[in-house]
Amino acid sequence: MTQHLWERLLEAKSRLKPVQSKYRVLFEDPSAPDEPAKVLVPDPNWMAAALAGDILPPIDTYQRDRLVPDGQPKEHPYAKPIGAMTEEEAIEYLVMKDIDPAVWRDYKGNRTIMKIVPVEMIPSDRSYRNAWRIAQ
Amino acid sequence: MSNLVVSNISDGTTSLGTGYVVNGSAKAWCNWNGQGTVAIRDSLNVSTLTDNGTGHYTTSWSSVFGDLDYSVSVATGSQTAAQNVWDRILGIREIRANGADWYASNNDSDVLVDQPVCSCTHHGDLA
Repeated sequence: MTQHLWERLLEAKSRLKPVQSKYRVLFEDPSAPDEPAKVLVPDPNWMAAALAGDILPPIDTYQRDRLVPDGQPKEHPYAKPIGAMTEEEAIEYLVMKDIDPAVWRDYKGNRTIMKIVPVEMIPSDRSYRNAWRIAQ
Repeated sequence: MSNLVVSNISDGTTSLGTGYVVNGSAKAWCNWNGQGTVAIRDSLNVSTLTDNGTGHYTTSWSSVFGDLDYSVSVATGSQTAAQNVWDRILGIREIRANGADWYASNNDSDVLVDQPVCSCTHHGDLA
């Protein structure tokens, strides 16, 4: 029987060194054009688990679970873990897991509303944070 | 990995059901820097932190909660170095089974402000 995902994450945290990703995902919400660009930051313990393999479930289990009402059994906690990912594959996984499909799958407009960038490209000066947009 | 299956643990005098230990453990927690280059310092069961704008963050869980009836504890502070000054406000804007939205400020006004130390802890039942 497959161990629950939370138990696998707990065990992984005890043995894996956290990995701060060298990438960030910049994105804009097409349903809220007045809001600033958002920055997705990968968790270092999650990234270590992704790079190690045999801990995280397949991404399609999360996508199916989006359709399952709260309180109903979900598929991803007990799904068979997938193997090791590269950091780039892990970022794509996170995009599909934690960003609304309206951004990465359904948007058909001409604006670029999502970019995967090196962390150095994110300004550390946040003086005008609420005016950030993705350069076109 | 091996499993130890027991229904109770005891120190020789007092006995406690392991269900209390499992159910009493935090199922997710996160400590992050909300200033400069926003980053997670340490966490459990978190996949990403999203910087939505000044003082507005989103955490996403790896193993999601079963429903919205989970417990939330938060703290935020103004000093990075010691991480022992918890004098600011971190409010919850919305919780979902798969994550939570946070608003940070210096006081109880509605003005959002980036904070150098933000933390949250969650107890409840996972899916």
